[in-house]
Amino acid sequence: MEYNEFELKEGIKVHTIKTNKFKTNLVAVFLTTELNRETVTKNALISMMLRRGSKNMNTQEEISKKMEEMYGATFDCGLDKTGDNQVLKFYIESINDNFLPNQEEDNLKKSIQRILEIVLNPYTENDSFKKEYIEQEKNNIKQRIEGKIDNKARYAMDRCIEEMYKNKPFGLFKFGYIEDLDDIDEKNLYEYYKKLINTCKIDIFISGNVDDRTVNILKENENLSKLQERKPNYIVPQIQNKEVTEEKVVVDSMDVTQGKLLLGLDVNIDKEELKYDTLIYNSILGGSANSKMFQNVREKAHLAYVASSSYLRHKNNIFINCGIEIGNYEKALELIKKQIDDMKKGEFTQKDIEDAKTGIIATVKTISDEQDTEVSYYFGQELAKNKITIEEYTSKIENVTKEDIVNIANKISINTIYFLRD
Amino acid sequence: MQVIENLKVKEKVYIEKLKNGLTVMIIPKTGVQKKFVIWGTNYGSNDNKFIAPGEDKETKVPNGVAHFLEHKLFEQENGTNSLDTLTALGVNANAYTTNDHTAYLFECTDNFYEALDELMDYVQHPYFTDENVEKEKGIIGQEIMMYDDYPEWQVYLNAMKAMYHENPIKIDITGTIETISHIDKDILYKCYNTFYNPSNMALVVSGDFSPEQILEDIKKRLVENENQGEIKRIYSNEEDSIAQEKIEKKFEVSQPLYTIGIKDQVKDQKEIVKKHLAIEIILNIIAGRSSKLYKKMYNDGIISGQPSLDYEFGKTYAHILITGQCTDPETLYKEFKNEVRKNKEQGINEQDFERIKKMVYGGYVKEYNDVQDIARIFLSDYFKGINPFEYLEEIEGINLKYLNQILTDVFKEEKMILSVVKN
Repeated sequence: MEYNEFELKEGIKVHTIKTNKFKTNLVAVFLTTELNRETVTKNALISMMLRRGSKNMNTQEEISKKMEEMYGATFDCGLDKTGDNQVLKFYIESINDNFLPNQEEDNLKKSIQRILEIVLNPYTENDSFKKEYIEQEKNNIKQRIEGKIDNKARYAMDRCIEEMYKNKPFGLFKFGYIEDLDDIDEKNLYEYYKKLINTCKIDIFISGNVDDRTVNILKENENLSKLQERKPNYIVPQIQNKEVTEEKVVVDSMDVTQGKLLLGLDVNIDKEELKYDTLIYNSILGGSANSKMFQNVREKAHLAYVASSSYLRHKNNIFINCGIEIGNYEKALELIKKQIDDMKKGEFTQKDIEDAKTGIIATVKTISDEQDTEVSYYFGQELAKNKITIEEYTSKIENVTKEDIVNIANKISINTIYFLRD
Repeated sequence: MQVIENLKVKEKVYIEKLKNGLTVMIIPKTGVQKKFVIWGTNYGSNDNKFIAPGEDKETKVPNGVAHFLEHKLFEQENGTNSLDTLTALGVNANAYTTNDHTAYLFECTDNFYEALDELMDYVQHPYFTDENVEKEKGIIGQEIMMYDDYPEWQVYLNAMKAMYHENPIKIDITGTIETISHIDKDILYKCYNTFYNPSNMALVVSGDFSPEQILEDIKKRLVENENQGEIKRIYSNEEDSIAQEKIEKKFEVSQPLYTIGIKDQVKDQKEIVKKHLAIEIILNIIAGRSSKLYKKMYNDGIISGQPSLDYEFGKTYAHILITGQCTDPETLYKEFKNEVRKNKEQGINEQDFERIKKMVYGGYVKEYNDVQDIARIFLSDYFKGINPFEYLEEIEGINLKYLNQILTDVFKEEKMILSVVKN
């Protein structure tokens, strides 16, 4: 594997990952822009509009047919909230020519050209998006927003974050808000798109059968060459001091069989380096089957099937997550709080620490075996402006001590207790 | 060892059937970090009635035993839990139960042999007590309640209820809180001893291995066990007809979930791979992303994403499933039937066929990216009597005539059902 990057123009970066591990090539374009209440819905809608058609592939049907012709290339889009940014993601995954009956398909070249056309040269009529498309996509996004109640576990998580980050960018729902839709039309959204595409951070990732020719395809691409240089409008995730707040309790009611209990924790640290300690802390608290949550809440008290925690690095929060019988709320909460307290008192063993390290290091080692994970890994570092190799990462994990973990434990405070019940 | 090579994806599988009846399959992948092993038994939630080898009496067990066993096998006599032991080794361990098999697996980069020790030890050494069986009922009870909150699972299960009269595929894999209350350690031992015999099992590994070496390492860890011969599984006779055409359930969702099902006949599964491929191609022509149906439903605001298109089959069941979320399942169902009718009348369009055939081929190539996907597919296909390489080979031989034949034989209106979950 060989990773390279270069700036095509200021604010537009190309990352290549040369690898022969896969049957596929993966081409990804990420547009990163600051997350805020004014533009959140527009950005979400743009990500949906761009897949409707481009200059040379006017309809979804044409795009799909082109993908099918390329032996089932998959074109996919996603929308993420990463720190205080909204990221519009576009991917084409296609079969490497070596595994095709006709080895001169040039699938990689086609993938690069098509994804760039879809993102940078959308279908327009009279200098605006197509009216019919925007009406349909407004309707679709409305359904998406209303659909947030469908997955109860995810809904509970979104609500917990919303409560923790009231009136702050990170509290926003990534698909936006229904009340914004009335004011958006084919003309003003296209105007906004032109602004976005010339101000956002653009990252292009190419993983697979990469060679010099690949780089030339990009350099000669017309859609790329018409873009302006820019000082990209995005937020580099930084460690901010958390305001220590009163523990907040929020209870929502919905038609559920099982209660979903979440605890949103603040990690009050001030140095990037402490994030490695926090990773280990989280792993011992609820990150694995050996963790305190899994062992004590699930295995010993039999209160839950799901009992875990996860660490959100970019925002320095840990979320504890449990599915419990509704009547067991008090009991479960008490037991969870005990786990947090026990961590503060250093009630975990050297073996717990070693197990956590082994687990995290094993995960890191597999990054290069998964094409999309590897792309996400490098993109995460690109955003954080913090390039570190897998070896360095591993050694930082190895150097964490018990003292470091107890130190983190004592910087943890409960921000919000969220319960979704019947 | 038997070696089968596929020149299309440039991969090989090494197969060995051991004396005790266990089948071992090895798919080497040079240069990858990940190692993956999966050990499965041909025993799932459908196997509730059987005659154990050497007996003449039928045994009937409560629903949910296969899944319950899967949970309990991790518990060791010395008080440890194998899931904890494996996690401590930094490996990613898990297990799952389907309607026709149960599997135990892990993925790792380091500590492979220590983890293999543990996996092969716990699968071969059950330890059930009254106390540890009772305890598990609480955890599984929470798991059952979690699935109750998944509308996707409800719409699927109801589709099975609509298609099948008797087949156990329509029961919950986990059982219900009521059925699992009847499970005790004797039932677990009985099922374990019947179904966890090596002759009923297969083990698959994929990763950077030398096939001969890993085979020896597996053999070394096997407990002496006789090939006990055939298990007679008793399945009720299932009529060809569906049980009911429409089924609906209330649930708090923003938009209805739907499954359109088409019940298929099980007999004559000789050409199952070819048939599976043909069905996949037809489904994508009729309801895939570039289809007329998709375009119309999208433009009318009825669907906003592509439905998932599947053909599921086993020894006692076979059906097509079209699943997704939409504003108006009834209209979608009607339009789908119309499209099927039109294609039968006019014959399938040749250009569509050629294009979708390429797409389906690519889909099968992609399966060889990841050791985990590879091993899982080899295991589940093995229990269906299939070598996955066959898909890459058989697709070439599919022509328009065969496709039209399958369209007529399988896509019958009287075999279609609609399951809906909505507010």
